[in-house]
Amino acid sequence: MAEPIKLAGGARIRRRGMSLSQSEGLLGMALVAPVVICLLILVAYPFVFAIWISFTDRQIGAEGSFIGLGNYAYLAGLPSFRATIVNTLVLVLSVQSLKLVFGLGIALLLNQPIRGRRGWRGLILLPWAMPAFVAYITWRLLYAPQGGAFNMILIGLNLIPSHADFLSSRELAMPSVILATFWRGFPFWVISFLAALQTVPQEMYEAAAIDGANAIQRFRHITLPGIRHVILVVTLLSTIWTTNSFENVWLLTQGGPSDATMTFPVLAYFGLQSLRIGEAAAVSVAMLPVFAMLALIAVKMLQRD
Amino acid sequence: MWIAAGLLATACAAPRAPAPQATTAPEAPATVPTTAPAAPAGGKFTYWGGLIFSDVANKMLVDRITQWGKEKGIEVEVVMINQNETVQRVSAAIEAGNLPDAFDAGVGFMLLLSQRNVLEPVGDVFKEIGDAHGGWLESAAKAVDPAKYGGKIYGVPFGTSGNVLYRRADLLEAKGFNDPPKTWEELGEMAKAINDPPNVYGMGFALSNVGDGNLMANILQAWGGRIADDAGKVCTIDSPETRSFLSWVTELWKAGVFPPGVTTWDGAGDNTAYQSGQAGFIANPGSVYLNIKENDPELAQNTKYSALPAGPKLRIVPQNPNVRVISASSPNKELAKDLFKYLADDQFMEAYYNNAIYGPVLNSQTGFAIFKEGPVHIGLLDLALNGTPPGYPDVDNAAYNEFNTNFLVPKMIQRVVVDNVSIDDAIAETQSACQAIYDKYK
Repeated sequence: MAEPIKLAGGARIRRRGMSLSQSEGLLGMALVAPVVICLLILVAYPFVFAIWISFTDRQIGAEGSFIGLGNYAYLAGLPSFRATIVNTLVLVLSVQSLKLVFGLGIALLLNQPIRGRRGWRGLILLPWAMPAFVAYITWRLLYAPQGGAFNMILIGLNLIPSHADFLSSRELAMPSVILATFWRGFPFWVISFLAALQTVPQEMYEAAAIDGANAIQRFRHITLPGIRHVILVVTLLSTIWTTNSFENVWLLTQGGPSDATMTFPVLAYFGLQSLRIGEAAAVSVAMLPVFAMLALIAVKMLQRD
Repeated sequence: MWIAAGLLATACAAPRAPAPQATTAPEAPATVPTTAPAAPAGGKFTYWGGLIFSDVANKMLVDRITQWGKEKGIEVEVVMINQNETVQRVSAAIEAGNLPDAFDAGVGFMLLLSQRNVLEPVGDVFKEIGDAHGGWLESAAKAVDPAKYGGKIYGVPFGTSGNVLYRRADLLEAKGFNDPPKTWEELGEMAKAINDPPNVYGMGFALSNVGDGNLMANILQAWGGRIADDAGKVCTIDSPETRSFLSWVTELWKAGVFPPGVTTWDGAGDNTAYQSGQAGFIANPGSVYLNIKENDPELAQNTKYSALPAGPKLRIVPQNPNVRVISASSPNKELAKDLFKYLADDQFMEAYYNNAIYGPVLNSQTGFAIFKEGPVHIGLLDLALNGTPPGYPDVDNAAYNEFNTNFLVPKMIQRVVVDNVSIDDAIAETQSACQAIYDKYK
């Protein structure tokens, strides 16, 4: 029989034919198992389930049967679906670009020793702290053609002759949704970048300044590489959130006018209204390759670093 | 994934409470003789009621069901849910296997559910309630006609809802229009006459992707247009009648009588426009009436109500009876039927109708004072007696309901007025999308 092994803290375990590393490995797996099981139940199961039912004609209350790519073929023939792909890409790319530029710019500003810096940092969080429902209803009121603040200001300043139909014209609906979505989400980027900026050693800036590097060079060669990981992770997370966001479009335009702002979550919602859960799942799963690609790119870039 | 996550979350919701102890003695006898089934098998009897705009009516329903529970000595849970969320809530509950014992639903949703075998037939209690109250009104009986539901009755109607036309009588009478419009074309002319942008817009009708937008489908039918053929299998949107209807809407749009924003109005768009004095006409089931009666007596004074007008071919005034249904999985089916009888009590329903904007469903209810005195309730009685069944003249089947949940008629209008697509192209697109839906049900 193997000798007991004394562990730190005085605990003893008997090896019973196992090496110490094997015993620790088992213990580790046992400790991690509850988390893994939870993840399998809460993440993997719905994920695989959604993919499976997207290949079936399943309806609420009825099991349905396997129909292969039937749901996808039906969706591909819908003008709404084609508009949805374009709209989702436009929305996500525009919002993420705005968040990156303004998020980084504001974070750099708030990283400087400006007056009332703490107050500004707190204030910047407000849009993110506000419940999404309240935020988008407020934006809807701001955009209102009659009595809306934006129209009153623009008409008052003689910038436009009559009211602008921000949410109901094809030209303005998507930019209006983009602006509201950007406003709601940019604080997360600012705070994340701000935290990352504070980890970049100050000595590197001082050394670069002594070597004659100007502000742009310091930003390009010190700041950006220093917060690269955070930019990648924040971009990845925010892209997924924005692509999945429902309330921004639903509360502002319900996907209209004429599919001008129809996105995947709203289209899936319409599918669910008629209880065709297989079809609704196909809408959401259709975005999976894009998410997978984004995740792959982010992981590759992080590994390369 | 959104769907699966939602369903899973619901599935993980707390299970039903353990069996309660029968503690309370009955406080008052039931006003309607009901049987006394055993205590609920699931430990608690659960009812999902549909929230309506009257807090008083909502409370009355909760109190009545709670009272019934006390009289039966059983624990009752009444959950009032937003009617706009009924589909999602019930869908998630079906997948999770935790449907309430009974719940309120619209007839369209009942049709979808009945085809999935999740509802219990209630023909016996339907007959019992009808016999005890002088019979069902034809509109209520037709709404649950077994011929539409595989030979069975799945719902017990409790109130007919539908649109009543509101008009700004002060503005119209100043222009010489003293009577309500008899036709939609006449309404369009009146709307033009009182149009005074940006203060007042004649036509406060939604053209957006919400339930209110489907009023346009009813107007299309009034024009003689049809969504599908008599068999309910082949789409027939592409017709001269649809062109005529779409030309009429487009002409009014160009005349500027629709308020800005109507193509993206939410469900409260018409309410807001009318209550702020910016719409000359709206079609609304009654929430606006309740609001202005309470908060804006002057506007209430200046408002008159009438039935929806006729089109060139038909007068379409859709009745939309709301029903109480029982889950097929409920272990308390007899209790649920007993509750339905208890809720159908005339004394309760008269008090309930005084606060809820519903038309009657039973002959005994047509004599209630509110249907002779309340301006909107008079219209709702007319709707219940003279309105048109859901979907009429189309076949009210699952495909027709999916067509409406996709808002294809308001979207067709949006294509023309927002995207400047030609009327022919918009109709062709809609015909194609409509047929794709109907093909799924072949």
